[in-house]
Amino acid sequence: MMADPITLLQLNSRISSLIAGDVSLHDVWVTAETGDLRVSGGHCYLELIEKDPANGRPVARMRAIIWASHYAHISSEFAVATGQQLVSDLKVMVKVTVNFHPAFGLSAVISDINPEFTCGDLIRRRMMMIRRLTDEGIIDMNRTLPWPDVPWRVAVVSAVGAAGYGDFITHLYGNPSHLRFSTELFPAVMQGENAPQSIIAALDEIAVRTDDFDCVVIIRGGGATGDLASFDNYDLAANVAQFPLPVIVGIGHERDVTILDYVVAVRVKTPTAAAEWLIGRMEAALTRVRDLAAEIFRAATSKVSGGLQQLAYYQGLLPSLSLGKIDRARSSLDAAVPEALRHAVELIVRRQNDRLDAASRLVEALSPQAVLRRGYSVCRVNGRAVTDASALNAGDILTTVLASGSIKSTVTEIEI
Amino acid sequence: MQPVTDLTYSQALAELEQILAALRGDDCDVDKLTSMTSRAVELLNYCRSRLTSTDEELRRILESLQN
Repeated sequence: MMADPITLLQLNSRISSLIAGDVSLHDVWVTAETGDLRVSGGHCYLELIEKDPANGRPVARMRAIIWASHYAHISSEFAVATGQQLVSDLKVMVKVTVNFHPAFGLSAVISDINPEFTCGDLIRRRMMMIRRLTDEGIIDMNRTLPWPDVPWRVAVVSAVGAAGYGDFITHLYGNPSHLRFSTELFPAVMQGENAPQSIIAALDEIAVRTDDFDCVVIIRGGGATGDLASFDNYDLAANVAQFPLPVIVGIGHERDVTILDYVVAVRVKTPTAAAEWLIGRMEAALTRVRDLAAEIFRAATSKVSGGLQQLAYYQGLLPSLSLGKIDRARSSLDAAVPEALRHAVELIVRRQNDRLDAASRLVEALSPQAVLRRGYSVCRVNGRAVTDASALNAGDILTTVLASGSIKSTVTEIEI
Repeated sequence: MQPVTDLTYSQALAELEQILAALRGDDCDVDKLTSMTSRAVELLNYCRSRLTSTDEELRRILESLQN
């Protein structure tokens, strides 16, 4: 026998009053992840999900609502404390009261939020990503890439028409030194949960044209504190870390960091600062060229003046060198000639003397005096030397000359 | 010698540094001084032109940005 049926509304009303009567379902602090979050008519609709830590599959799920009267306050408090807006895929701690509406079913009405829980979770998540990137050996890859001397060809990843992009371009091309830059925009979604995939797609486009660029700039402009959680994405971080060109990130966050800050070559706060950084780099290159110009001018000038100095030195040296040569020649002549001459003259004199000595000895040997001294004598008659006895007559007076003195005698006998 | 416009910026810079080293060293021939210096000037102008753009270029880029 069946009891009288009740209507669905009656059933739901029973549930509703059961739930409303249970104080353990009132103002309970619950931890969960957000999902499918959207704002409509000032009210915020979302799902609270709990996932199995092992496989990420949902193990619990409930619809949740933040009424407009609370949402303005909760969302701004959350953004200020966490540096990021209340969006999907965040771990949150919320104060809920469970409500069952006969027409709309079960939902958790959120009346408060504890941002510190989310902060802690964001940091935890980031630390885990850093550990993973470190373990995989890629965390420093982009940071240690060598910078080209002149990073003037810039691939820009930004949202089309974003204020930040305009700031970047105006600042870059308006640099006072007229430094040359060439930029190309690779559009990407820079907000929300699609941002990582969109940025990765833009990077992929640049990656096939790495020869055309010197570096990549990822910028997001100007506005209020955004949902930086979407940048705390492992896939995006791993892509940027392994990107073959140096990456500069300027996504407009003052206080908070994202995982990108740990992997990029250069981290700046704003798009303008990114332009500033590039300008500084090019200024340094320009200064280097100016310095080189000055140094080369100096070196060439000193080379010329050095050469002239050397010439002047030789010029000054030349007269004294050649005069000195003559002087030296003269003085050596002075020293050498008299000696040699004396030598030669003495030799001649000595030879002549020797010859004279020999001659005088011969002369002496042949002189009549010498013959007389050896015992010979000369007989003269009437002053003429007698050499033939037949020319004499008896009675002739002979004069005999001896070596010393002479005698007179008369011829008495002649023998022929 | 390679025309400067065929060089990359880094190559031009490296050649400039070589010239400077030669000028500073003792093995620089005075006969080569003029040609070295004029090459250096050429390289310097090239590097400078790679770094800086003309007013006309700038105007063109900024105009294209506004369109």
